[in-house]
Amino acid sequence: MSRKNEISKILEDELLQKVTKPTRYTGGEHNQVKKDGSQVDVTMAFAFPDVYEVGMSHLGLRILYHLINEQPRMAMERVFAPWPDMEKAMRSRGVPLFSLESRRPLTEFDVLGFTLQYEMSYSNILNMLDLAGIPLFAEERGDGDPLIMAGGPCAVNPEPVAPFLDLILLGEGEETLPRVLQTIADFKSETAFPAGGADCGGEQVETGAASPQTGKAHRGDRSRRETLLLRLAAIPGVYVPAFYRPEYEENGRFLGTKPMRPGVPEKVKKQIVTDLDKAYFPTTSLVPFMDVIHDRVMLEVLRGCSRACRFCQAGSIYRPVRERSPETLKRQAEELVKATGYDEIALTSLSTADYTCVEPLIKELIATHAGQKVGLSLPSLRVDAFSVDLAKEVQKVRKTGLTFAPEAGTQRLRDVINKGVTESDLMETVESAFSSGWTGLKLYFMIGLPTETEEDLEGIARLAEQVVYKGTAILREKGIKKSVRVTVSTSSFVPKAQTPFQWEPQAAMADLEAKQAFLKQRLRDRRISYNWHDAQISFLEAVFAKGDRRLAQVLHRAWQKGCVFDGWSEFFRYDTWMEAFRECGVDPAEYAYRAIGYDDPLPWDHLDFGVSRQYLIREHKNALAASLTRDCRVDSCAGCGVCPTLGVSIDLRGGDHVPSPDRL
Amino acid sequence: MFRVRIAFSKQDPVRWLSHLDTQKAFERAMRRAAIPLAFSEGFNPHPKIAFASALAVGIVSFGEYVDIDLAESVDPEAVKERLQKAMPEGFGIHGVKAVPPGTQALMAAVNRAQYRLRAPLQEPFDEAAISEALTRSLAETSWLVEREGKKGVSTREIRPGLFQLSGSRTDDAVLLEMLVQTGSEGNVRPEEVLEAVCRYGRLLVDRERVRILRLGLFVAQGERLLTPMDVL
Ligand code: SF4
Repeated sequence: MSRKNEISKILEDELLQKVTKPTRYTGGEHNQVKKDGSQVDVTMAFAFPDVYEVGMSHLGLRILYHLINEQPRMAMERVFAPWPDMEKAMRSRGVPLFSLESRRPLTEFDVLGFTLQYEMSYSNILNMLDLAGIPLFAEERGDGDPLIMAGGPCAVNPEPVAPFLDLILLGEGEETLPRVLQTIADFKSETAFPAGGADCGGEQVETGAASPQTGKAHRGDRSRRETLLLRLAAIPGVYVPAFYRPEYEENGRFLGTKPMRPGVPEKVKKQIVTDLDKAYFPTTSLVPFMDVIHDRVMLEVLRGCSRACRFCQAGSIYRPVRERSPETLKRQAEELVKATGYDEIALTSLSTADYTCVEPLIKELIATHAGQKVGLSLPSLRVDAFSVDLAKEVQKVRKTGLTFAPEAGTQRLRDVINKGVTESDLMETVESAFSSGWTGLKLYFMIGLPTETEEDLEGIARLAEQVVYKGTAILREKGIKKSVRVTVSTSSFVPKAQTPFQWEPQAAMADLEAKQAFLKQRLRDRRISYNWHDAQISFLEAVFAKGDRRLAQVLHRAWQKGCVFDGWSEFFRYDTWMEAFRECGVDPAEYAYRAIGYDDPLPWDHLDFGVSRQYLIREHKNALAASLTRDCRVDSCAGCGVCPTLGVSIDLRGGDHVPSPDRL
Repeated sequence: MFRVRIAFSKQDPVRWLSHLDTQKAFERAMRRAAIPLAFSEGFNPHPKIAFASALAVGIVSFGEYVDIDLAESVDPEAVKERLQKAMPEGFGIHGVKAVPPGTQALMAAVNRAQYRLRAPLQEPFDEAAISEALTRSLAETSWLVEREGKKGVSTREIRPGLFQLSGSRTDDAVLLEMLVQTGSEGNVRPEEVLEAVCRYGRLLVDRERVRILRLGLFVAQGERLLTPMDVL
């Protein structure tokens, strides 16, 4: 019996009936693509280091899955982190991690591609490699092992996980991934690489030479692997960590990262799609059986955001703004509804209300799809009455909740972070929402922002109360007896690479907890509910967001001690993590709490995301002066550097709708 | 309003779908097939889809039934053809009929279920030993089993709900085939029948690796067993 049939049998006979939510592991969803491995030149497993229902909500996976599978000689399958009950069952039965489509062990794929969505999923990457029986460290892998690749937002600073990865794609995957896979396919046809690749598993050499640096044994020869990686490193946007070495002073101070091989670029530059309207977008989509977080047609109306909030990494790394035309979107919506049978279309982007054609698009989508009871949703709203009008339009078919993110409690602090929202904007928005029939809403804030004082926290409480008073007054006026519900959520500020706040330290954990306690105390009105993010998780996030390669050992140790699913509070084990830091002699506070000087070398300096250091410095200074920077869509270019560096420009599709109202 | 009754099967890999997942799968497939669903009124309109009987997760079935309300009348043959193409792999659409107004609700009508169950034997029982175990257990007039419900564990009498039972041996497993009560009069589960046979007939099986197949759902009218399609 082949390995994949054996896995299938154990799954069907024993494992699936033991675990919660078996459809996390069965595959077989509508629009799944299953290819015969012998009919393709290169195979990749897209690996999402979190549970199925989280991973399947990710638009990038859905785009790349169909993009690659539409190439006749390439195949992409999927794998997610098994939930701990399944992991236990698999380990006890000796079942290796397998792909959903063909139920083949991951060792039989040419490439395993992880997406780096959030820092707290890193331990799951290690766990998945281990469950697959693949050596964790890149230098331990030989010609017989799959190439381990990664991409996604955390590739902005992948250094803490770099030692586990063979190559990292910077930027938007639809550009680079097909080229990378084609290069691998060509190389395979020349040299029969990898030895353990598609459909010829089990021939790996188990004993190998020891690596000179670590003394760790790797499996067999790795000369062909090196040759291939050199070839891949020549593709724009491909970063091969092994070809770069971080340097440190004797006292441990980081000095910079230098290329180690002739021919590899000094700086790896990210790649992006220049014309989003012409860019690939699938007209079909997987339809999960179980409930996933975003279980609907996801229509990407635009990419990027230039509102320039200074804490926002997405705003920095997805510039410039590129829109799709309404004609393209209407066609995609129609095809996707037909292909999936979903009853909801989400207009996704970082800020959909900014889409220059949003109003006519919504009207036409409703006109086309309301008959079939297909509704629309807007996952991101601005704090303005215009957004409420859009939400009102959208909820004609189905009711949706309203969420707004003022982010900070006072005008001063909102100016520091460049969130172009005034208190009157918020009050106008709230008035419009309650007048339009909503009886509750959610408000998002961040605590621990640079320069925050008690007044700013008090401001959060005061704003929430004002929203409650306003809402109550409006409901009374309308004769509605129902009480107003306002949910306040706070997350803790995490300084991120490639943002104007990258030089800032994170607020101390004890301070963050004190701030949460203050708000808990202040927000006692029964009509307000308050929830907050775990400060310990935010601390680790900060450590990894600005970390360097020395953290890889800590991550490895924490995983050895049993850390997985760190993003899930029920599994997060802060004390274990701290033990791992201690045992590795690494001080996490050094990463999270150190203010970095403008001239200090940064662990991500050798990765070019297009946004210039000068711009980030200028923006940081503007922040400290509470001086605003305007959106380059409505005003002049703010000189972030992205357009000239990447050879792109802002691409807007609408005429009369100006994305920003008066302010900003 | 126009109602259709659909006879379908549920095999690998969709046997792992929950009741709710199955409902969603039908709703989405109907939309893909461009068969116009009728929706409930109200703020969150939902389609009217009613199954004959819930099927536990993991059970393969050859005889499932669902009633779905359509917004307009559609030729049942066309529904069958289009729906089969739109359903996820593992669902088979075996028949579609129009449901005349005034027909008894599907869930209320169905009262019998037929199962085949396969359990690996833990001791080398032969064919004779198995039939002896069956005879011995059937001689008992009371079968008490424990069932975990929302309000904790309760003890239930299932013997009156068992109408037919036969057993045989294949490879190293016992095969049981049974006709049991289901629906509003009460449910007897196939694994409960196995439990009773093991207890009263002294059979040793591996309860962790039981495979269950639902062969069909029926409407018992006196001595006659009709399918939900026959009654239309
Ligand atoms: S280079 Fe100028 S126009 Fe382009 S994204 Fe940056 S600020 Fe906007």
